[in-house]
Amino acid sequence: MAEVSCAERTIREINSEIKSLIGRGQREITVTNPGGRHNLCVAILEPSHITIQGSAGYYCGALADGSTIEVTGSAGWGFAESMLHGTAIAHGSAGNGAGAAIRGGAVIVHGDAAARAGVSMKGGLVLIGGNCGYMAGFMGQKGTLIVCGDAGDAFADSMYATECYVGGKIASLGTDAVIEDLSAQDIKFLETTLEWHFPSESLRTKPAAGNFKKVVAGRKLWNFDKREWNVWQEAL
Amino acid sequence: MCGIVGYLDRTGGKARTLGCTVLGMLNALGCRGPDSAGVALYGDNPDSQLVARVALGEHGDFNASAAKILRTAAKFAPVADSSITDCYLRFHIGTTAAIQPFIDAVESVEPGTEVVSLGHRLEIVKQVGSPENLEATYHVSEFEGRHGIGHTRLSTESRIDLSHSQPFWGHGYPDLAIAHNGHITNYHQLRRRYEQHGTRFYTENDSEIIAIYLARQLTAGNSLEQAFDSMQRDLDGSFSCVAATESQIGFVKDQFALKPLLYAETGGFVAIATEEIAIRSALPGNYDVREAQAKESRTWRK
Repeated sequence: MAEVSCAERTIREINSEIKSLIGRGQREITVTNPGGRHNLCVAILEPSHITIQGSAGYYCGALADGSTIEVTGSAGWGFAESMLHGTAIAHGSAGNGAGAAIRGGAVIVHGDAAARAGVSMKGGLVLIGGNCGYMAGFMGQKGTLIVCGDAGDAFADSMYATECYVGGKIASLGTDAVIEDLSAQDIKFLETTLEWHFPSESLRTKPAAGNFKKVVAGRKLWNFDKREWNVWQEAL
Repeated sequence: MCGIVGYLDRTGGKARTLGCTVLGMLNALGCRGPDSAGVALYGDNPDSQLVARVALGEHGDFNASAAKILRTAAKFAPVADSSITDCYLRFHIGTTAAIQPFIDAVESVEPGTEVVSLGHRLEIVKQVGSPENLEATYHVSEFEGRHGIGHTRLSTESRIDLSHSQPFWGHGYPDLAIAHNGHITNYHQLRRRYEQHGTRFYTENDSEIIAIYLARQLTAGNSLEQAFDSMQRDLDGSFSCVAATESQIGFVKDQFALKPLLYAETGGFVAIATEEIAIRSALPGNYDVREAQAKESRTWRK
């Protein structure tokens, strides 16, 4: 276990040290005094387990490939944005755009996520333990977005093929988002996923898998004629 | 960009001065707004007088201008405790002064004169440059009080000078101040409408419309909460905004959550800031910071 302190150092120095430690075979790293600094642990491309003790700023764990990045506090905008593979966990809440544009891996937020969580996902899993804000899942292309609490306005707007699950209330559905019945397979998937990612005591406060609502694309926007004014109006 | 902060002390300000905390928060956001920095702080003015802070223009004989302003002000109510720091004249004036005529008279003394703030507790200091410069010129960290807001500016559409800097006073409404990060897209439309009703605009900064809007709402008898709610309907664009009055502090975020704004609330304080780093670097301790949702607004009373 190696320790990297952020105090009195530039972000470049911090990230370089983390990467050089991993390069030398150190796979367990603790980052102390993060103080909400931006760009912590960006582009970590090797399997490793990095624990940030405290809160991280913008783009924490972004562009990662294969690492596990755990933030004990909250994370700012663009948490694990564009991750290829790996796991990013925020024990607190997350700012706007958590898990935006990820291609794979899992982004887990134990608390609430602000606006635009999981927008333009191209794979992977974004799992919000609490509520999510405005326009989560917008333009999602693939992957899964699970919100255990309530979802904000314009949920799952203009999606391609991300599958969304909401345990609480949905303030309003976005354009072309439709609610679909849960299949037995969906329930099984939710059960295993929630069990895998949440410690048992936190799991007790989550809704049962069978009580989630499934939201998918209505596919009306996938292709439509330019003379279909209603679709245009709705989409814009 | 731009950085905004708000802070409400609940412990009686024993550990650190208000100025020190607000400045500490603002310093962390210096990189978001290198053009200007400013604070609106609410002091513990013990008597029932108003505090006026008047900018004396960009250059010229400040002592002569100040003397003229004080003579003019004295016609409205008794004036006391006047002092000049850099380009600001500060003085106390009795509450019997009729506010709008007083402002008009003071501002017509010399071109470029502006009543930057007026209130029982409110004092605004702002200038071109960094928060460090603000401290060097005005010793903000010595200021004692219970709540305040601050701003660092990256100008996008209007001039860089003292007048266009933030926080803005809600001109005409004592003790109201705002700091804003974002753009108000129906600014020109609203401004035309307000100007037709005789409202004076001091700048070409779209954020000024928020100060004017809130001042109008509060003058009409609405609460700060109601004013924040109606802002969602009347103002277009992106706004993460903090506002404060003599006894309240609060924030409002637009319906699309286009700009960041986070807050932390503990038994000891309420802190609001554009980035978490501003709260963490000024306020040690173990507490949660969360990002405000779209359309969210909150207020706290001191």
